[in-house]
Amino acid sequence: MAFMIVAVTIFFALVGMIILVTQVSGLNQKAAALRGENAKLLVSKIADSPEFSCGNSFGTSMGSCIDEDKVMNLKSMINKYGKGSFWGVNGIEIRTIYPLNRGIECTKENYPDCSVISLIKSVNGTGVSNFVSLCRRDYSSGISSANCTLAEIIVTYNG
Amino acid sequence: MVKTKNNSDRSVAFPSRIQKRGQEEMVGFALIVIIVAVIIIIFLGLSLSKKNVPATESYEAENFVQATLQYTTQCRDSFGYVQIDSLIFDCLNGVSCAGESDSCEVLNSTLSGLLKEGWSAGSGGLTKGYIFNINSSRGNLLEIKEGEITSGSKGSYQPLSRGGNSVGIRFTVYN
Repeated sequence: MAFMIVAVTIFFALVGMIILVTQVSGLNQKAAALRGENAKLLVSKIADSPEFSCGNSFGTSMGSCIDEDKVMNLKSMINKYGKGSFWGVNGIEIRTIYPLNRGIECTKENYPDCSVISLIKSVNGTGVSNFVSLCRRDYSSGISSANCTLAEIIVTYNG
Repeated sequence: MVKTKNNSDRSVAFPSRIQKRGQEEMVGFALIVIIVAVIIIIFLGLSLSKKNVPATESYEAENFVQATLQYTTQCRDSFGYVQIDSLIFDCLNGVSCAGESDSCEVLNSTLSGLLKEGWSAGSGGLTKGYIFNINSSRGNLLEIKEGEITSGSKGSYQPLSRGGNSVGIRFTVYN
């Protein structure tokens, strides 16, 4: 009887240890997945934040729209945002997809004949991207019109 | 059976009772092990049957459609260059672009370019194929298909209405 009790206790202890090991081993993956979820949410929120959003600048309120002129101004003032630590990520880059991407980094001198705006240059980390509409004002024959292209915003985070 | 001093065949109950009790306890232990093993197998089966995270999330397809609708095309009207969402209704109503270019042709070529650059179906990436479809009450307005259709898919649906006309844009990505 005593032997039976000891054997059953040892058996259940072994089963419990196996379950505990399998549960704990997934914790690191869950933490990385949570960080990824946060980055995806941040990507979605960034396009709607005041620093990036088109708002009503182009007539009507447009969702998933980034104001290119505003972002270029933000780039020149990025130090006031703690070099990007304001958003809690390693890197933010906006890359034009269509019309075709020539991979030219945007500066004050070549804007708008460029296709990549690197707000925060990331050295390492995991990147998450989302599609956005990248809009700016074009002036032609004295008429101002909206010019929107398809772009992606890439956020890099630790994960 | 143990022989007694009188050589009579009398079974000694005491040793066989101990044997029986030991056997009963072993059987009980074996039953406990079997029940616990069955519970673990059921638990493992349920946890392993969870679906994997898809390669394309719905929010990517939704954002692509939203961004595409705001794309400024090469089609001009009296107010300037037309965005995709307006061009869809121009195509539906048979309105041509300035310079007599067909609005439906511009819409088709622009959407094809956007989809090709945005998704690169079948080139070894995660996206195996896609279908972009614009449907109206008058029928299918436009459909762009690329790559192969697989069992894993994510997509979005966007209704639009303007001037009494309504269309539905359905975009499905296959992984």
